[in-house]
Amino acid sequence: MRVREIVIASSIALMVLLLAYVIDLGGLGPLAPHTVRSIARAYLEYVYNPWNATVSSMALEAVTAIVWDYRGLDTYFETSVLFVAIIGVATLYRGYRELKGLGGTGLSEIVKTSTRVLVPLILVAGASIAIHGHLTPGGGFQGGSFMAVLMILLAVVFSLDYAFEKGLTSRRLLAIRSAGLVGILVTSIALLVAGALAGVGAYIFQNMAREGSDFSMPTWLLDRPLGGTLFFFNIFESLAVVSGLTLTFIVLALRKEEVDQALAAGEWYE
Amino acid sequence: MEPVAILLATAAALISVVATYLAVEAKDFLVAVVLSAVQSTAYALIYYVLMAPDIVLVYVPVSVGLLPAVSVLLIKKTERYER
Repeated sequence: MRVREIVIASSIALMVLLLAYVIDLGGLGPLAPHTVRSIARAYLEYVYNPWNATVSSMALEAVTAIVWDYRGLDTYFETSVLFVAIIGVATLYRGYRELKGLGGTGLSEIVKTSTRVLVPLILVAGASIAIHGHLTPGGGFQGGSFMAVLMILLAVVFSLDYAFEKGLTSRRLLAIRSAGLVGILVTSIALLVAGALAGVGAYIFQNMAREGSDFSMPTWLLDRPLGGTLFFFNIFESLAVVSGLTLTFIVLALRKEEVDQALAAGEWYE
Repeated sequence: MEPVAILLATAAALISVVATYLAVEAKDFLVAVVLSAVQSTAYALIYYVLMAPDIVLVYVPVSVGLLPAVSVLLIKKTERYER
C-alpha cells in the first residue's frame, strides 16, 4: 500500500516536471518576457524619489508602498474583510465567559522552558518585521501574524487557563483590535482633516505632498526615511492582526464548559 | 536566474507535489496536516528563490503556524481517522 502511494506520487511529480519542461520550451503558448516591464519600472522609479516628491512615497520598500500607498484603498478593504470574519467568529460564540480552574496544566516542563527561550526571539522578529515594514520586506500583516503565532504557542504550551490568567481575554483582544482599526482610519483621513481645518484641499489616503496639497506626513525619523503613512499603517495593522488572529484561535479552542455557556446564551437571545 | 536557484526551486516543487498527493491520500488527518505543512515549506522556499520575500514572510506564519494550529484544533474536536 505504502509502496503504491509512493510510486503514484513520484509519477505525478515526473509528469509535473515534464509539463514544466514543455511550458519552458514555449509548447503551451508564449511566455512572459524576462525584462522589467514598464509598470514595474514606473513603480521602481517613483517609490523613493526625493527629486520628484509629488509622485513618490519616500519609502525604500516598493511592495509596502504599493500595498499601503498607491493601492491603499484595496488594502483597507482587505483589512475590513478580515475584521468582519473575526467579528463573525466572535458572534458565533457570543455569551461565553472565560472559566478558570478547569484543570489545564499545559505541556511538560521541557517544552515550557524551551518556549520561554523562543518567546522573546519570535516577538522581536515579528515586531521588527512590522516596524521596519517601509524599509525591508515585510509589513503589518506579516509582523502581526508572526506575533499571533507566538500568542498561539503560549496558549497551547502554557494552557488556556494560564493565558486567561495573564489577561489574554476576548474583551481585551477585541479592544486592541478595534484600537488598531481606529488607528488605520485616523491615519488615512489625518491629512484630509488637517486640510479641511486649514481650508486647503487635501486627499484621503494622502501620504506625501501631492499636486494641489502641500500637507505631508513626516518623511524622516532622525536620519532614516519614514515613508509617512506607511509606518503608521504597518504598526496599527500589526496590532489589529495579532489581536484578531489570537482571538479567533482562542474562541475556536474553547473548552466544553465554556461552549455550553455560549449555547445557553444563544438560546436566551432567541 | 542562477542554475542553483533553478535546481532548488525544482526540487522544492517536486517535494510539494509528492507531499500534496500523500496528504490527500492519508487516512490519519494529523499526518495530512503535517504533510500539508511540508508542502507549504516547499512553497515558501520557491517564493524565496523567485525573489518574493514579502510573500515568504506572510506564507511561513500563516501556512506553517496558523493553518496547522486551526486544523489540529478541528481534529481534536472531531475525529482523527477517516472512515
